[in-house]
Amino acid sequence: MIDIKLIEECRKGNLNNFRKLVELSSPLAFSVAFRMLGDEDQAKDIVQETMITIWQKLRKIRSVEVYRTWIYRIVMNKCYDHLRRRKRNPEFVADEKTWKLISDSICENPSKELENSEIARIINLLSERLSPKQKAVFVLSDIEQMSHDEISAITGMSKPLIKSNLHHARKSISEMVEKFL
Amino acid sequence: MTMIMESEKYNKILNVLRVSKPVLDSTEDIEKEVIKRISKVKKPIFNLSEVIDSLFGWVYIGWVRRTLISASVLLVMIFIYQQGVMLKQINFLSRQIIDNREEMRFSTEQQVEKLLMEYKKPRRGFSSRSITISEKQIKELLDSVNDVKTKYKDLMDIIQNNPELKKLYDDKLIENSRTKIKL
Repeated sequence: MIDIKLIEECRKGNLNNFRKLVELSSPLAFSVAFRMLGDEDQAKDIVQETMITIWQKLRKIRSVEVYRTWIYRIVMNKCYDHLRRRKRNPEFVADEKTWKLISDSICENPSKELENSEIARIINLLSERLSPKQKAVFVLSDIEQMSHDEISAITGMSKPLIKSNLHHARKSISEMVEKFL
Repeated sequence: MTMIMESEKYNKILNVLRVSKPVLDSTEDIEKEVIKRISKVKKPIFNLSEVIDSLFGWVYIGWVRRTLISASVLLVMIFIYQQGVMLKQINFLSRQIIDNREEMRFSTEQQVEKLLMEYKKPRRGFSSRSITISEKQIKELLDSVNDVKTKYKDLMDIIQNNPELKKLYDDKLIENSRTKIKL
């Protein structure tokens, strides 16, 4: 559990406590980074970079809530950079295997946990047509189940913009689902 | 009209993705790499934000903290300005002392004596380190001393040649020596 005492100790430069903070924070950062990028190695790199940024700017953190928002914000900014560097595929290619995987998952055993590689394939397929902002709002709102206030604090987007991006993301994904599933 | 939000398949896929949390197999590698990279980064010798944090870290309200920082900066600036003004005044005053001394003329013997007395006074007047005497002033001083010596010699000759004056002179000497003993 991340608490303010742990953060305070890290602010004093205690590396052992920071190791603990990395251990507790990494899964949070990894979850969002992985869902944003759909790539395990890249997500791990993002986590590493995020933790280093946190170490450098930890003295600005005053509460656990701020820390949580802050870590997500750093992850999202680094994911944006990664996504901007990626070339977007203008022509969508229907991936039959992944659609089959989705179909099996929702029909046979919806509560079964998928492996990282399977999650990556599904997310990459669904978010193929989305812009980085739409993808961010989709991941944070619909998968991570965050409120619009939280998303606004993390991404810096206004609520109307969040709603608009979310609408476009849902529409795009729903169209694909209706078409291929 | 079928609302996109209500799409059953869409919601089912979302449920699958929500249930399936990405698993970070081991945080140890990340920990190691992060600690390694942190250790490599050298801390800057002077970090302004660190100094501000150590001074005003106890203030949690943003605007209060900013106001305190601004007030402190203002006070420091006023202090530096005052120190500057004081130093300027000290320099001005010390220059004035030297100027006054330069203005002194050795037109009379009394003035020479007065100046010599100034030099003799311990911890008063001018300290030996701060005295600045020009060559002209030294020459004037020596001339004056020679003049005094000559006049003294002439006076002594006159006294020796005149018995009345000699008597008066001897009496005065005796009187002076008595006065000194009394003291």
